[in-house]
Formats: sequence, C-alpha cells, structure tokens
Amino acid sequence: MDNKAQQSSGGSPPQKPWERAGPSSGAAPFKPPSGGSTSDAVEASGTAKPGEVVSTGDRNTIVNRSTVGRPVPTRPWEQQTYGSSYGGYGSGLNYNSGYGTGMYGSSGLYGSSGMYGASGGFGGSYGSGLYGNNMYRGGYGGLYGGGMNGGGMYNGGLGGPVGGYGMGMGGPYGEQDPNNPYGAPSSPPGFWISLMRVMHGVVNFFGRVAILIDQNTQAFRMFMTALLQLFDRSGLLYGELARFVLRLLGIKTKSENVQFPGMDGLPGPHNPHASQNYIEGPKAVPNSEWDGAWGNGASN
Amino acid sequence: MPVFKTPFNGYSVKFSPFYESQLAVATSQNFGILGNGRVHVLQLNPTITEITSFDTADGVYDLCWSESHDSLLIAAVADGSLKIYDLSLPPTSNPIRSLHEHAREAHGVDFNTVRKDSFLSASWDDTVKLWTVDRPTSVRTFKEHGYCVYSAAWNPRHADIFASASGDFTARIWDVREPGSTMILPAHEFEILSCDWNKYDDCIIATASVDKSIKVWDVRNYRVPVAVLNGHGYAVRKVKFSPHRMSVIASCSYDMTVCLWDYMVEDALIGRYDHHTEFAVGVDMSVLVDGLLASTGWDELVYVWQHGMDPRAP
Repeated sequence: MDNKAQQSSGGSPPQKPWERAGPSSGAAPFKPPSGGSTSDAVEASGTAKPGEVVSTGDRNTIVNRSTVGRPVPTRPWEQQTYGSSYGGYGSGLNYNSGYGTGMYGSSGLYGSSGMYGASGGFGGSYGSGLYGNNMYRGGYGGLYGGGMNGGGMYNGGLGGPVGGYGMGMGGPYGEQDPNNPYGAPSSPPGFWISLMRVMHGVVNFFGRVAILIDQNTQAFRMFMTALLQLFDRSGLLYGELARFVLRLLGIKTKSENVQFPGMDGLPGPHNPHASQNYIEGPKAVPNSEWDGAWGNGASN
Repeated sequence: MPVFKTPFNGYSVKFSPFYESQLAVATSQNFGILGNGRVHVLQLNPTITEITSFDTADGVYDLCWSESHDSLLIAAVADGSLKIYDLSLPPTSNPIRSLHEHAREAHGVDFNTVRKDSFLSASWDDTVKLWTVDRPTSVRTFKEHGYCVYSAAWNPRHADIFASASGDFTARIWDVREPGSTMILPAHEFEILSCDWNKYDDCIIATASVDKSIKVWDVRNYRVPVAVLNGHGYAVRKVKFSPHRMSVIASCSYDMTVCLWDYMVEDALIGRYDHHTEFAVGVDMSVLVDGLLASTGWDELVYVWQHGMDPRAP
C-alpha cells in the first residue's frame, strides 16, 4: 500500500467500486435526484431552515409520528428534579422562549446563568437568537461569534436539559449578568456557577451512563461490576490511609484499641501508649493477627 | 499488521476515501462518559503510525472523511458540536470550524458520497442535521424521531436520500427535499443503534439493534425483513455494507466481536473475529482495498487486517 492519491488531484476521491458497477436494478421508490448542490436542492424544495436549534421544549411538543406505539425510555437528563411546580416539558418551552428574548440575561430568572446561554448571542451573525435561544450549551459560539465568553470557556450552557440547576441561580446573581455589554466586565465564575458546572457534569455523566445501560443492560453490568470493584478497592485504600494518618497524629483508631492487656489488668509492659488503649476499657480479646498491621505487633 | 494503541477508548474508525493507507480513529476518555477526546489520523504501511492527532474537550463518538477534500475530517463530539479538521494545517490551527447546534451529544456523522458537498449529523437530541461544508449553520434539521438518533447514512446512489437509526425503535428514510420522513421502518423491538445502505442496491438497508440482531430490509416492501442475522451475543453497535461485495456486511458488538456476514446465503455468518478484549464499537471496510477491515473498541486498540487473517497476527 502506498499513500499516493488514487486519482489525480481533482478534489474528488477515486471512483467507488459500486459506481463502476453501473446502476442498481429495480425501480427505487424515491423521487429522482435533483441537480445542483445539496443546499440548492433543499432550498428549492422550501424545506430549508438554516441554523435551526431544537430545544428540549420544542422537541417534546413535536408530534411523534412513529408508527410504533411503544413508549420510548425517558431520557435520563430530562428527569426533572425540581418538581411539578414547573410543569414539565410544556413549561420548559415557555421557559426557553422567554430566555431567548432576554438574550443578554436581563431576565432575572436566569440571572448570571445568562452568561452561558447568551454568550453565543454575541456572535454577530448568530445574534438573532440562534444561540441566544439556545441556552443549552450555547456558549460554544466562540468560534463564530467571538463572544465575550467565546472559545467555549464554559463548555457550553448550563442548566440545559437539567433546568433545575439554572433555576436556583436566578435570585442572587440576577443583576450581574456578565454578558451585559453595558455593564462591568465579566468576573470569574462564582461558587454557584462552579457548582452549576459540576452539577451539569454530573447530570451529563449519569445521562451517558444511562444511555450506555440502555444500549446494553447485560453487557454494561460487566463494566459496572468492574467499576464497583474499583470503587471498593479505592474505598479500602482510603480507609487504610486514614488510619495511617490518624496514627501519625497519635490518635488511635478503634481497631488498635484492642490490645492484649498486661498481666493483672495492668497496661501491657510493651505498649508505650497503653493509657490510650483504655479509652473504651480493656477488652479481653486475645492478641489477634491484624493487631500487627501497623507495627505494634512487633513490640508485643 | 500490528495494532495501534490509543490513549483513550476507541469509538469509531474510518478509512480515507482518498488514500488506502490512511485511517482516522475517534476516541474518548473514560469510555466516553466523562473527560476529553482525541481524533487520531493513522498511516498504515508498513506499521501503523500516527500522522497527527487532535484533542477535544469532550469525547469523540464518530467521525467521517470529506469526499470533496482529502485532508478534511469531521468529528461528532459528545458536547454536541461537530468539528472540522484540516490535516494540512498544524494542530494549533485546528479545528477549522466548530458547528454547535445540537443540544445533546452528537453521535454520528456521514458524508454524502454522491454529491460530495454535504454531511449529516445524528444526535441524542433526537434530530438529524444536514450541513454543507461552506456554511456555518445547518441547512435544515430533521426532527421526527422520538428518542436519540444514533446514526444517519446517505444512500450511496441517490444524493437526496438518507436513513437514520434511532432509539425509538424505528429507522426512517428521508428525502432532504421533503418536509418529513418518507418511510418509517419499525425495524426492531429494541433500540436501533446503526444502519447502512447496500452499495449495489439502493433499496436495501441493514439495521443493527440492541436486540442482538441485524436485519436487512428492502424499502420497497418493508413489512418483513429480507434477512435476520443472529449471532451476536449482545447489542450490535455498528453495521456496514461492504463497498466491494454486494451482500457482505460487517458488524461489531458489545459482545466484543467483529462479524462478517453474507445475508444472501443460509449460513450468513462468514467470519467472526474476537480480537478485542472490550466492547467493539467501531468497524469499517476500506473502499479502496477489497477485504481490508479496521476495528476499534473500548480496549483502546485499533486493528487493521485483511478478511480471513488473524487481526492479531504481526
């Protein structure tokens, strides 16, 4: 194999094997292909809708024309946790549109979280609500928008499908929308914003895990078993580490209290810290193997 | 051919349509659940070496090569964005474009092989978007599926037709000039993770599902499948028709195997490769070399081999 172009430079890859084989047999149930470019074909048909952003709310109002009556699984990231007062998807729609109009976050509802959603809105050509409306991860507008928060600094909008996290933000930061072009320059993200980002990450994490589980329950179990074993092991490790640190500080952990007492109930002669061993009173437990775990056993 | 070890978990692999020894691999950290991603471009002869790589801030679930320019690559990123890379530019100048309209993870991309000016993206936000390389926004959005859309595939012989596979248990056939889908195939009883068109008969489509089966359909009569291919032990993650043989299909699965099928013969399973030690989630067949296969999986390995050979053979 060599790395030469298979065809002289014409901006086109070598002919596909199936193109050399001639047309396929039988009449296909498709309309004949249009000439011109793809965008021309779509625009000529009147179906073009450039840059359409489908929000969660929009999506769920679409009539599902599936011929299959079966219910599909709930999306893990849409299991809304803020209760019925926000009324599920329908209100989600209003919520979004309201947000879209308040592109620069002047709507107190979203307050500082506006800096995420609206950041793309700064992007000149995108300004007409494309990203403004797209609170979900809209912040990535950087490349085209050159918005204040461009470059995906926050890796997109928070709140997003999670909704609930954005909600909590409205109050305290309502007046400090950093995307307000007439206001002060943006400040570093505060505690709540950081928390929101973390929560967003957490929801993303569980969303993806849940999708993977959806895709294959049985196979995923194997993966989760391994993961749980890993957690289990790291838990043990931290336990040991904690005991070690406590010991360095001179604090005896419970397990070490079980020293074999000296004769006549007196502290064992070989145990310099014997007095501490009696916080819980001596226990008549014979010297067990694990007492030596931290070196005390050597002196016994 | 030796294997290539990627630092992250493999998600997708695609042969270049221009160069028979170039291969692109999409990878994601931590099984694509959390962390970064990386796109690798590999050179195949005589050993597998890396030409370049591009880092992303989230996992990369899929990628495709441009059919109009030999150095362009499009990646579907888990943050919902599509990133276009130009291999002729240094990594610092890449990506040359980042298209961010999907509200959820972008899970599949496919370049139009007929008109060579557009591509599709499938996303967990239930939509498929149509893009052209010269525009910063999508041309239109196809929103009809009731759950995540996992893959979209252009008809290899008709520039306006494509198919999509979704978690709503349906595969749909679309004409980009029509407002809605033109056909709805209730193809499986479980989620459909992948679909692909027969390269020699533009009415034949294959779907792969969580129900462990691959079904082959004729869109002229889709009440019953043309063939049902059973043999995978877990969900079938990707399905791909051979560019060279009319009835040959490659698939990879959560059962860690890559299988080769001939849906026209009775014993359809004609090859089974169990070289991966974790979920096999990416498979491709070279359009330039007959029988050359590539696969990747969560074991962070990329294999390239000739059908009939042992992928692990040095």
